[in-house]
Amino acid sequence: MEHNAEPLGKDERKTRGRRANPWIKAEQRLGFVAARWAMALGALQSLAAIAQAACAAVLLAAMLHVWHGAGGMVLAVLGFTAAVLLRAYLQMLAEREGFELGAAARRRLRGGVLSTLLALGPAKLRGRHSAELAATAVDRVEAMDGFHARWIPATAQAIIGPALLGIAALYADWRAGLILIIAGLFVPFAMALAGIGAAVAAKKQFVAMTRLQTRFLDRIRGISTLVLAGRAGDEAKALQAAAAELRQRTMRVLRVAFLSSTALDLAAAAALILIVLRFSPLLHGHLALAPTALFLVLLTPEFFAPLRAFSAVYADRMAVEAVADEFMHLPPPPAPVPPVNIRSVAAHGVTLGFEHVTFGWGEGRPVLENLSFRVGKGEVLLLTGPSGTGKSTIMDLILGFLTPQSGQVTINGAPLDTLVPAARAKMLGWIGQKPVIFAGTIEENIRFGRPEASETQLADAIRHAHLAELIATLPNGLKTMLGEGGFGLSGGQAQRIAIARAFLKDAPLLLLDEPTAHLDPAVERDLLESLRHLSIGRTVVLATHSTQAMDFAKTIGAKRVDLDALRYASWRSETV
Amino acid sequence: MNPVLRIAALWGRHFLWLSLAVLLALAALAAGLGLMGVSGHYLAAMLLGLPLAVPLLLQYTGAARVVLRYLERLIGHAAIFRALADVRVWMFQGLAASAAGGLGFRRAGDALTRLVNDVDSLDGLFLRIFVPGLSALLLAPVLGWVLWRAHGLAPLAILPFLLVAFYMPVRAARAAASNGGKAGLAMAGLRSASLDALQGLREVKVFEAEGRMLAAVQAREAALLAAQRELVARTSTLNAQSYILAQAAILLAILLGFFGLPMPALVAVLVLIAAFETVLGLPRAGVLYGQAAAAATRVVQAAEAPPPVPEPATPSPMPSRNAVAFEHVSFRYGPDRPYVFENLSLQLPQGSRTAILGPSGAGKSTIAALLLKLVAPEGGKIRLGGTEIASLPAEAVRHRIAYLSQATHLFADTIRNNLLIGDPTADDARLWAALEAAQLAGMVRALPDGLQTWVGEGGATLSGGQGRRLVLARTLLMDTPILVLDEPCAGLDAATEQEFFRTLNTVTEGRTVLLILHRLTGMETLDRIWRLVGGNLVAAAG
Repeated sequence: MEHNAEPLGKDERKTRGRRANPWIKAEQRLGFVAARWAMALGALQSLAAIAQAACAAVLLAAMLHVWHGAGGMVLAVLGFTAAVLLRAYLQMLAEREGFELGAAARRRLRGGVLSTLLALGPAKLRGRHSAELAATAVDRVEAMDGFHARWIPATAQAIIGPALLGIAALYADWRAGLILIIAGLFVPFAMALAGIGAAVAAKKQFVAMTRLQTRFLDRIRGISTLVLAGRAGDEAKALQAAAAELRQRTMRVLRVAFLSSTALDLAAAAALILIVLRFSPLLHGHLALAPTALFLVLLTPEFFAPLRAFSAVYADRMAVEAVADEFMHLPPPPAPVPPVNIRSVAAHGVTLGFEHVTFGWGEGRPVLENLSFRVGKGEVLLLTGPSGTGKSTIMDLILGFLTPQSGQVTINGAPLDTLVPAARAKMLGWIGQKPVIFAGTIEENIRFGRPEASETQLADAIRHAHLAELIATLPNGLKTMLGEGGFGLSGGQAQRIAIARAFLKDAPLLLLDEPTAHLDPAVERDLLESLRHLSIGRTVVLATHSTQAMDFAKTIGAKRVDLDALRYASWRSETV
Repeated sequence: MNPVLRIAALWGRHFLWLSLAVLLALAALAAGLGLMGVSGHYLAAMLLGLPLAVPLLLQYTGAARVVLRYLERLIGHAAIFRALADVRVWMFQGLAASAAGGLGFRRAGDALTRLVNDVDSLDGLFLRIFVPGLSALLLAPVLGWVLWRAHGLAPLAILPFLLVAFYMPVRAARAAASNGGKAGLAMAGLRSASLDALQGLREVKVFEAEGRMLAAVQAREAALLAAQRELVARTSTLNAQSYILAQAAILLAILLGFFGLPMPALVAVLVLIAAFETVLGLPRAGVLYGQAAAAATRVVQAAEAPPPVPEPATPSPMPSRNAVAFEHVSFRYGPDRPYVFENLSLQLPQGSRTAILGPSGAGKSTIAALLLKLVAPEGGKIRLGGTEIASLPAEAVRHRIAYLSQATHLFADTIRNNLLIGDPTADDARLWAALEAAQLAGMVRALPDGLQTWVGEGGATLSGGQGRRLVLARTLLMDTPILVLDEPCAGLDAATEQEFFRTLNTVTEGRTVLLILHRLTGMETLDRIWRLVGGNLVAAAG
């Protein structure tokens, strides 16, 4: 399968057009405010470095026999030792503090992203790959770690450090100080030039990387299909091409990004050479200047060290550029229901109503047009019609995942959007075609319906869903682990877990969205029996095109809405 | 074999690139030390009033250092990225060989971590461990000589240098290795908890599990952070110790300089400062080694897991005929699981059409798995064209069979590309014919993008029935003599189902067809119908 280059092109145009992402700016503000203590630690390290260099210069001068004073020597050794120990300690504290900054930021971001996604629900995230969303919640949040843990402190230190050392150098010898400061100022200038190029390239690279990631997860999920179709070899080649593209993109970023490190090397080497040359005519006969000259030579690498550290964390900054768009384009969390109008509805016995509901996905004919029906307490409504006629849409409207374009859905006469969401959710039970089985034990999967359920309630649910037999055959009984996609469970068995969940939840309004679609007749009959049991005393909406399920619905006295007939009727009325 | 060495062996193909990178790194290092040494020499000469050395040397070493550093970085990365691309593909191929039966308990999210993060972290093995480690090793004797010129005892300062360059990294690597498992597990847990919450969003909303899912993710995150914090505490201590060792060595060199020759002493101190600058990053690299070694272990494990059914050592030639026979086959999924079959026999003559009926869980799909060599029988024989399949390569057997399972995957790709999985050489006419046969052509024709329509994750933009018909069309495209269709019409309405079977009779003319069904529609033309009851096949009346 060759892949599609088109979406990337679009993204590139989009990102080039925009500068100074407001999301990054906001993160930066938060980061710098949080990093005050880290900045203080950095400044103290610089002061210790100055003291250390001064002591070392005195010692070196003494060593060259150009400076004398035994008392000073002892003091210098002591001063050097103290400065080193202090620096080592401060450096350790700074490293730990940086980690805490990153950890706090990740906690904040991940909580925010997941809360938003969970609040939005499936219909509003329709068409977005769950692996892609998980990558935002996991990897993109992790990618922000470096920004807060390293980039922010290093950026602050790249200003504070050279500033303090520059002042010390100016104080010692203003000309040499000036050389250092000019060389230092050249660095951010060159970095900015290289950085603009690198940032543009980095975004493209991350898109390629994400695509490789998504592609790989998808291919891994379908690896057995690929192998059985004899296509694993071709897919490996396609993956190779994708990996090669990733490499080329990465190198494009690095070629530019490395220029900023080179600018730094250049400035550091030039400053060292110029300072050495600056002192050469002076020193003949002015031995008193020797400690100053040595101090400045030792100070030069210290002066560039914070800039070097800053350039080393540049990748952390690029990573942010690359993920920022994804964070910015997360849909905003849904507005909370206004405090007025909120009401809850009696939990026992529910009447469901559709009043002139129209819903469509976009251009063209809506999926549902002016649909009205009413299901009374304890009644069963059968929804029929071929796939694509809107059965699942009706379910999503009732679940509140979708909002009608016109008309309203009511529960006990109250429009759905005026109900307290928690109260609404308590009233709704739902079983779909393929239940999601979570990684965990079978018990955890059943208790998902109501974690606080008692042992007796759990046992009842297992009995009603006819799961006891299955559990008895499992190696670890209720504690048997179920893997991704419900490894080891057949479709019918997975569906029984969904039924057990619904029993546990015990909601008065039950939505059954093709609950027996993939099952054979014997299993279907069994399941329908369990569902009949589950339906007693509840208001039920059953969407199906299985004849057996339809017959079942008739035996329990269901009303029927045939969506195909409705559509046909409305089409006829239009053309007549 | 040590997984790190296994990975390194894979990099052999890029030996020239990697060697060039190492040479450039060494040259850059030499230029860096040269710059400091020449500066020291010059400075000392001035201070001592000696005749001046040529200052030009200063500028040359400076320029060489700058240029060589840039080339070192560029070539080093270019070399390692080439090598890593190979590892990705190698790992995918390995997984493909071992995971034909599906990933089972190994979670797909976990495999994703493996390929992307683990393979990515392997670059450090070369760039941040091998290259600086080798540099430090070559640096030690040079440093010894420079120090010896200053004072006979000054080479003692090599000891802290060696400690920082080699001992501290080993300690850091041990700390990281003992922590790596914990952190890796926590990360995988975080990833699968997040995937669970997002894939099961519908369930999560219906059961008001938002808070619970968020709490589950945050618990995994807290575990991850705790593991990372523990490692940072240990490595930051090691870094501080390394720094103290380095400065102690410098102080020692200065103090010994009082008793030696001043000029070589200053040169030695400045060179020592530059040398420590190169190795102070190594303890950090040690942490990386611990992590990279763990990553390498996971990558090698995933890639070299044995195939589910061992391949024959000396495969028999592929038979020319395509009749299938099961002879007294017994099978169970594990020694502690009940037998699915104890004595199953079944004949599928070439060109015949057979249906196997039975309730779900009776083992109908296991028959297909046995035939495809996804599992091996415990006893009895399975023959293809008279040859036992145990003596045939799995790939060659599968090449004869088009299989539609309950779990056949729809890729997040276009309709066209999903169909081309079946036969990459198919032209549009054949694609449409397959869609026609699967009763899907009308729907695809009505789509604005037609065959180019994106189907989304697992076919999310299609209805269940449409997705099923698409994989069915893909299966029909595979031009194989044997066709195994496991519930081809699950999720289809009765009219479509009947229409499909009517078409199936014509499109599979001359091929051996095995239908695995739960009931018949009456539209199928079949030679034999079996009912699977209690692990035995019973002839059923049509």
